[in-house]
Amino acid sequence: MVDDAVSALEQHFAQLTGAGSSQDVPSAPDWFDEAAYLRLNADVAAAVAQGRMASGYQHYRLRGWYEKRPLAIPSAEQMDRLVRLIPLGAENDFVGAGQQATTACHVEAVQYSKAGGLTIIGWVNDTSNPLHSIRFVATKWIYIFSASGMSRIRRRDVEAAVGTSASYSYGFFAFVFLESDLEITETPTIVFEFADGSVSETKFAVNQVDDVELRNLVIAYLAQSEFFGNHQLEGIRLLGGGIGKNIIAHNKNITAKILAGACAQYFGAPKKPLRGSIVICLYGRPEYFFLQHTLFSRREGFSDYELIYVSNSPELAERLMAEARAAQIIYDVPVILVLLPGNAGFGAANNVAATYARSDRIMIVNPDVFPKDLDWAKRHTEALDQLPAEQTRLFGVPLYYDDGTLMHGGMYFELDTGISMRHGEMVPQQLARVEHYGKGAPVDALQFIRSRPIPAVTGAFISVERAWFETLGGFTEDFVFGHYEDADLCLKSFCAGSVPWIHDIRLWHLEGKGSTRLPVHEGGSLVNRWIFTERWIDVIKDGLEGPQPTHPLLQTSESVASDATQQLEWSRS
Amino acid sequence: MKVLLISLFHPELVRGGAQQVAYELFLGLRAHPGIEPYLLCSIDGSLPALYKSGARITGFDGRENEFLFLSREYDYFWHRSSSAALLESFSEFLLLIKPDVVHFHHFLTYGVDLLTLTRRILPEARIIFTLHEFLAICAADGHMLRTADKSLCTKASPVRCHQCFPNTRPEEFFLKEMWIKRHFDAVDMFTTPSHFMIKHYTDWGIEPERIRRVTNGQENYSGGTVLPAATKKRNRFGFFGQMVDIKGIHIIIRAVEYLRSQGFTDFVLEINGANLRYASEARRKEIEEYLEAEGQKPLGEQIVLFNGSYTSDQLRERMSRVDWCIVPSVWWEIFALVISEAWMFGRPVIASNVGGPAERIRDDVDGLHFQVGDPVSLAHAMQRACTEEGMWDRLRGNIRPPPSREVMVEGFREVYIHASVDDHLGVSRQQRKSYLE
Repeated sequence: MVDDAVSALEQHFAQLTGAGSSQDVPSAPDWFDEAAYLRLNADVAAAVAQGRMASGYQHYRLRGWYEKRPLAIPSAEQMDRLVRLIPLGAENDFVGAGQQATTACHVEAVQYSKAGGLTIIGWVNDTSNPLHSIRFVATKWIYIFSASGMSRIRRRDVEAAVGTSASYSYGFFAFVFLESDLEITETPTIVFEFADGSVSETKFAVNQVDDVELRNLVIAYLAQSEFFGNHQLEGIRLLGGGIGKNIIAHNKNITAKILAGACAQYFGAPKKPLRGSIVICLYGRPEYFFLQHTLFSRREGFSDYELIYVSNSPELAERLMAEARAAQIIYDVPVILVLLPGNAGFGAANNVAATYARSDRIMIVNPDVFPKDLDWAKRHTEALDQLPAEQTRLFGVPLYYDDGTLMHGGMYFELDTGISMRHGEMVPQQLARVEHYGKGAPVDALQFIRSRPIPAVTGAFISVERAWFETLGGFTEDFVFGHYEDADLCLKSFCAGSVPWIHDIRLWHLEGKGSTRLPVHEGGSLVNRWIFTERWIDVIKDGLEGPQPTHPLLQTSESVASDATQQLEWSRS
Repeated sequence: MKVLLISLFHPELVRGGAQQVAYELFLGLRAHPGIEPYLLCSIDGSLPALYKSGARITGFDGRENEFLFLSREYDYFWHRSSSAALLESFSEFLLLIKPDVVHFHHFLTYGVDLLTLTRRILPEARIIFTLHEFLAICAADGHMLRTADKSLCTKASPVRCHQCFPNTRPEEFFLKEMWIKRHFDAVDMFTTPSHFMIKHYTDWGIEPERIRRVTNGQENYSGGTVLPAATKKRNRFGFFGQMVDIKGIHIIIRAVEYLRSQGFTDFVLEINGANLRYASEARRKEIEEYLEAEGQKPLGEQIVLFNGSYTSDQLRERMSRVDWCIVPSVWWEIFALVISEAWMFGRPVIASNVGGPAERIRDDVDGLHFQVGDPVSLAHAMQRACTEEGMWDRLRGNIRPPPSREVMVEGFREVYIHASVDDHLGVSRQQRKSYLE
């Protein structure tokens, strides 16, 4: 009897909802809590008790979802993940339906991108009834943001409206990358669920944005948000709370799509086997292209090298093609121009460009690096030929400011300790930072420019065996736009057993200072510092902290090095 | 010997000293047995009718061996064209003519990187570069004037240049210097018409062995006869030249007003020139309003007359109307062809005491100096010129004949012959070797 009744009901609701068969009747979420459902729906519990319904689950499948019956508030394990719930029509909106909340809350913006980035921005006055979660209910799917995974930010406007001077973060900011092709076809419902089980529900139109736009919006919002306490520490703490990994995933999705559209153009061909491939990522500054051609080419030993430019700026593609053609006419240096349809970031752009190399050595060079030693290419080749392999597997060089002083001779790591305020407690928190040896030192400050093993070298110039670069997986592509990839690569090398070196081949580095940093760049920096700290803080603590690190690997390399390097003819001394 | 002269503009299309000298040299070389000169003159967007569709280098009005370079996509900061088609056409032009000597009189409108391209296309050719101003050193139109107060600049540096152009970072000036010097590496020999220029450029970094003085020269338009002075009084002054800011017409006008204010009005000033439209807005307004006001005065009170532009064949008539020429330039005037023109007609010159005029004119011997940019100093010199008995005859008597076209041709011919691969600097030999690899 029950089975017949169920079958009849299934057909009835299938017709009602337009579903073709009972196969289309929705399943309950996999976190469906039978006991809670019966507790929250007394009539269903009575029907089950009387044998009129087999279970709460059956009721939910047959009509509970349609009637928007309340489910239990999901536990922590049940939140922060996508639930494909109701593959039917628009009328199948699903909401949790507890009693109406009296807590003031407001959604201000909802952004969704094609690849599945979803952000909700708003505020909630939950000082007395804490927010438990926010459900984003689309036509065919639900995402539940846990309150603990959201960023809570300071909102002075809400403070003024509430009339409080208390240090309370009324604002919230939630972001998830779903990496799916889920569509939002109708205005979704957003449900605030509070600790006492009450809910507040609202319909809010979604602003569909481009993936890159959403990524930029999220990190810019992060950079511009106000927190109680140290902005960087609190921002990084929030990234660690869940948003960070979603930003990385979203960014990597963007990067992958950009790399899929890479296009390489060849200008000229090498006339002999090459000793190195100079990979240069342009940062939207096409003038560096012809400047580097002019200043690199026709110098002693340069014919052993090729130039591979990679452009992150699609709007410059045609100009760069013309520049490459002009450079071929004037300088006759083999060039590969790798054009990307968007900004893939420093790491990915260099990685993809390196795959086009026609030599077994990759030299990562910034576009604003120029030869100070006019015979730098010859010296570089001599270093490869004469130094022990472990000293040239991955090495950098001293870089100079245009005023003639040393910009730096290698990098080391520092750990900054700050105090984060959490629930009224002061919690020390450490962040990793990269520092430089010898900034502003006189030109011949040997202690900074002599050949030696060091913790890291700058990405403005890295010479690395191609096989080693590939073994290390190239640059890590988690970082947004670019920063820390060089130190990250060096630490990967270090942990794999090969210490970075620096050798005295002098170059200018005219690092731009004047460009305006936008909030999106500041946000990217925040994300990158969080990533770098997360990945490497334990390694740095283990003997790599400070300008005179004590790690045994560095000490061993130094002692082995001193004899060999002194005998080298190519050495400047 | 085939010589390709590369000139900024053609003097019959756009007037100017550098192009005048290049053209005089072209005419002089053409008359020289054993030399086959070619002239390539640039034009820019101000002469759109001369651009032919799809062409980058064309002939010029049916003239033998005279060509026009149709400049485009020019970057006035880096001094380069981004047009690959233009580079290809230039390369093709070089290969068609196969000159033994490529003599650049400018890189403006061409691109300084054409020096490197020329070296690559013609590794055995001698490349000569004549410096007509400081464009390689100074972003302020090559005048070496500080932009803030128009004072003379003696040394460029990344920070000093940034002070003149606050929107450009010092690093960019540092790079620009490296960029230009890198292309100058392709040059076998630099020439300049003045000694003081040699000092500026060697201080900047050109090796002393790689730069020589070769005077500017020109045809003697007087035909060898010196004009008599029309009156006993020597109180007629003339200005000849471009009416742009650096030529300093405003200094003369202010000197005239100073003398007026002092009650000294027994003199006349005739302004002969053109291109006031290229002066700065403020300067143009000042000069136009002054000339307008002067024209409103009763005829007997008018001191300053504006005669308009002139051509070489009008020089005789214009010079006959004055006793003195004034060269009031407020920049490092490099050579001042107008001094030569004045001397052709026996007219002593009163000039600013800097640069080429100071070098060419001997103060109180064959002309007078006054403090550059100082109207009162000029006024005193003018008053003295008008009133000092016998001075005009004395100075005129000491005037030396200006350098002729033939002297200039001979000077350059010597450079063409000796600036060869074998007797050049080691550094250049190395450079050339790299191009031949």
